[in-house]
Amino acid sequence: MNYLDLTLSEIHEALVNKKVTPLELTKEAIKRAKENKDNAFELIIEEDAIKKATELSNHEVPKDNYFYGIPYVAKDNFSTKGYETNASSNILKGYVPLFDATAIEALNKAGAILIGKSTLDELAMGGTGTSGHLGTTFNPYDPTHTHLIGGSSCGSAVAVSDSIVPFALGSDTGDSIRKPASHSGLVGLKPTWGLISRFGLFPFAPSMDHVGFFTRSVKDSAIALNLLAFHDDKDSTSAFKEKEDYVANLNSEVKGKKIAVVSEILNSIQDKTIKSAFENLIKKLEKDGAEVNYVNFSRDLLNAIYPTYMVISCAESTSNNANLDGIKFGPYLGGKTYQEVIYNARTNGFSPLIKRRFVLGSYSLMRENQHDLFLRAQKARRLIVDKCNELFNQYDAIVLPASPTPAPLIKGSNEKVQKDYLAADNWLAIGNFGGFPSITLPMGFENELPFGVNVTCKPYDEVNMFNIALNIEKNTGFAGLSYQNHKEKDGK
Amino acid sequence: MENSMNFETIVGIEIHVEMKTKSKMFSLAPITFGDKPNTEVALLDMAFPGTMPRVNKEAVRNAIRVSNALHMSIDQELWFDRKNYFYSDLPKGYQITQQARPIGSKGYLEIEIDGEKKRIHIERLHMEEDTCMQHHFSDYTLLDYNRAGIPLIEIVSKPEIRSGLEARKYVEKIREIVTFSNVSDGKMEEGSLRCDVNVSIRPYGSNDFGTKVEVKNLNSIANVEKAIDFEAKRQSELLLMGKEVEQETRRFDEAKKETVLMRKKTDAADYKYFTEPNIPPIKLSDKFVEDAIATCPELYDHKLERFLNDYKLNSVDAKILLADVDFSLYYDEAAKSTKLYQPLANFMISEVNGYLNKNNISINEFKVDAKYISELVELLQSKKINSSQGKEIFAKLVKENKSPLALQKELGAILISDEETIRKLVLEVLEQNVTLRDDYKAGKTRAQGFVMGQIMKKTGGKVNPGVANKVIIEELKK
Repeated sequence: MNYLDLTLSEIHEALVNKKVTPLELTKEAIKRAKENKDNAFELIIEEDAIKKATELSNHEVPKDNYFYGIPYVAKDNFSTKGYETNASSNILKGYVPLFDATAIEALNKAGAILIGKSTLDELAMGGTGTSGHLGTTFNPYDPTHTHLIGGSSCGSAVAVSDSIVPFALGSDTGDSIRKPASHSGLVGLKPTWGLISRFGLFPFAPSMDHVGFFTRSVKDSAIALNLLAFHDDKDSTSAFKEKEDYVANLNSEVKGKKIAVVSEILNSIQDKTIKSAFENLIKKLEKDGAEVNYVNFSRDLLNAIYPTYMVISCAESTSNNANLDGIKFGPYLGGKTYQEVIYNARTNGFSPLIKRRFVLGSYSLMRENQHDLFLRAQKARRLIVDKCNELFNQYDAIVLPASPTPAPLIKGSNEKVQKDYLAADNWLAIGNFGGFPSITLPMGFENELPFGVNVTCKPYDEVNMFNIALNIEKNTGFAGLSYQNHKEKDGK
Repeated sequence: MENSMNFETIVGIEIHVEMKTKSKMFSLAPITFGDKPNTEVALLDMAFPGTMPRVNKEAVRNAIRVSNALHMSIDQELWFDRKNYFYSDLPKGYQITQQARPIGSKGYLEIEIDGEKKRIHIERLHMEEDTCMQHHFSDYTLLDYNRAGIPLIEIVSKPEIRSGLEARKYVEKIREIVTFSNVSDGKMEEGSLRCDVNVSIRPYGSNDFGTKVEVKNLNSIANVEKAIDFEAKRQSELLLMGKEVEQETRRFDEAKKETVLMRKKTDAADYKYFTEPNIPPIKLSDKFVEDAIATCPELYDHKLERFLNDYKLNSVDAKILLADVDFSLYYDEAAKSTKLYQPLANFMISEVNGYLNKNNISINEFKVDAKYISELVELLQSKKINSSQGKEIFAKLVKENKSPLALQKELGAILISDEETIRKLVLEVLEQNVTLRDDYKAGKTRAQGFVMGQIMKKTGGKVNPGVANKVIIEELKK
């Protein structure tokens, strides 16, 4: 066993007790990052990481600073000063930012050591982990490389599930942390919109973009939120919320808590293993004193989630990526007029998938279509959020399987609208529509592939969300799960 | 004019005003104007990925002040939108503006022509950000991002302006408001106040609008008037010849004094507006709005009233002082240290203004403390110095910015006021001109002037004339 196979809080304890040093951890993390075969990294930061780890190793590890000396990875859509950040897109190849994202700054200040930038679906626009400019990112649980890990935060999910680091930053616009977390047996959190500053996160669809992260336990997730939730003047949408101590408030008590399970979503799931794992879990929650009710959401509203998400996210994305014009940064490909310069840069810089989304977004914003598409999607979003709020008036949380299946096959995955539309595959986006705190954690395995459960609560109800999640984690026994220790356990 | 017999001119004006805030509309980059290219640029101004906008409070205050001056209703919830288009001067690929909910709406201002007042209604006033400056060369273009993100307010009038003259008055009034409220320096020639005018004509009595032509690149208020008059004439000539007015964008060619075609307008561009997601709606408290209005620097009309009532200035002089906001502020400052308001006004208008014109500088570049100008005016009025001494002191004052009383001493610019000294001088003259006493007594008052002339000549004009007169009369009567 290596200390990197432990959770962040366990590693911290080992650091405090001088069983391991930041330098040893960092060296091992870099070694593992280099050995990993899942195409998880845009960049491995070796020299600077070792330098910082060496420096940190000369000092006493502060007991109250969980992140001191902890190696971590950030999705490559977080601006990192001095390190190329290209969001897995050719249009940003060679772009070295002049500033750190607020989340990066906070982690670095706490003494966390950035050892790499992870791959993503190009510009975070995708849910498969197959569309980055370096190609498909694979799932550590599937050495045959035939199953997805999901995206867009694919590389960060690999980094944590493969025990390269105990913590990785991701971003979540539809389910880009919580879906891959489900496919890779991780705890994936996106908190309430505005709780973590988005400054320095490359925008995809700001009204739905969230900074979040992967960890291997609920406690680690609470620890990370303690560090990253603060008001930031650089982000006008950053919340003015009094600081809460999510770690101190952590307990697994669910007695008297009311939990809603959306019937239409659960009933649409065909996978028997997932269904029965979920039913077991519900029984345990009930046994621990929670009141679980099966509720109807509205078939129409559930069917509207995916198109609503696509219209709004694509529309916002066309505008947010309009700065990528080859004039100020990224590859300059020449041209006789400014139109030609922009045309050349964008034609060569974006993959067809991205262009398709831009066309969709632009089309829905056109004057003659805006009413029927963009504004209608905004109305649908409002209705869906209203429905959620209605539930949150009566219930402490919505609990459902995070995905209707374990990781799907890579082959055949594309983003054309499925013929058999599945709300269960897209419902997590309600968390982005309403900015609700939402956490995915492992629930079980099917054919050696993990699958997860999700807990979504009303805005700023993170304490409640963590407690329900902790109860589930205790019942599943998956705290600390990684591909490495799962393999070892299996071997026993 | 021929066209005025047949057609009515319809003009609507869009004015962009560049604010002189300390920093930009949505970033912390400083604004000083005239700094080296690309030195006043924040990360946001070059649209680096991940940068986010922050609303400049001072810009909001400014927009409230101008809205208030234009009698507009003020939206106490701020909303911003994105205007999306690709252009080389637009770093983000969109401009943050206020499309759906402008901060100011439904206002008006009054213009006066030949003593008659006319109300021009104003549709909207909104905040937005400027684009970067482009310098085009034969085969390349240079971009200066210093201008990118400078706060703008756009003021859109209703099409209620009916002539070039009315348009000129309208722009003058807007300029006066934005300069007096200290929102902008309002210099058309430098682009801090930019006008686009929409001109159309229609037969008198018609309620329909004709095809409108947009005229851009108007770099002076005089050109606004000229361009509109030219355009009205051009359009009426077209119609009278049986031709049609085409929808197009034209610019004013200063040399030719006419408008020239820039481009034909096809369908108006689709800017794909939507709400800016990175700025949540901002509620403005009543206090914030009230404070912004209460702390607004004094506007022209109020100031004029005060100059007439408090300083008792004549209206011509008051208006001259008010022609430039900074000049009027200087006068106000100087008026704090004297009660001789009209003489102060006279001195400002003749001496100070003359000096500024001669040296081609603005009052802001005038290095003399206002209180010293008052001191000098008091000195002159007390007759302790004469006007040529006054000029001498003023010449030194503008160089050294020192108290005129001190300068008076330095220059020895002192008038002889001691009666006995003057009496000696008078007696000398009378001794040399023995007939003077008799002349005076015989009613020839000229004698008095003669004596004064002689003693002035002897002293180089340094005799206090008041004291001298008294002594001369005493001696002539003897």
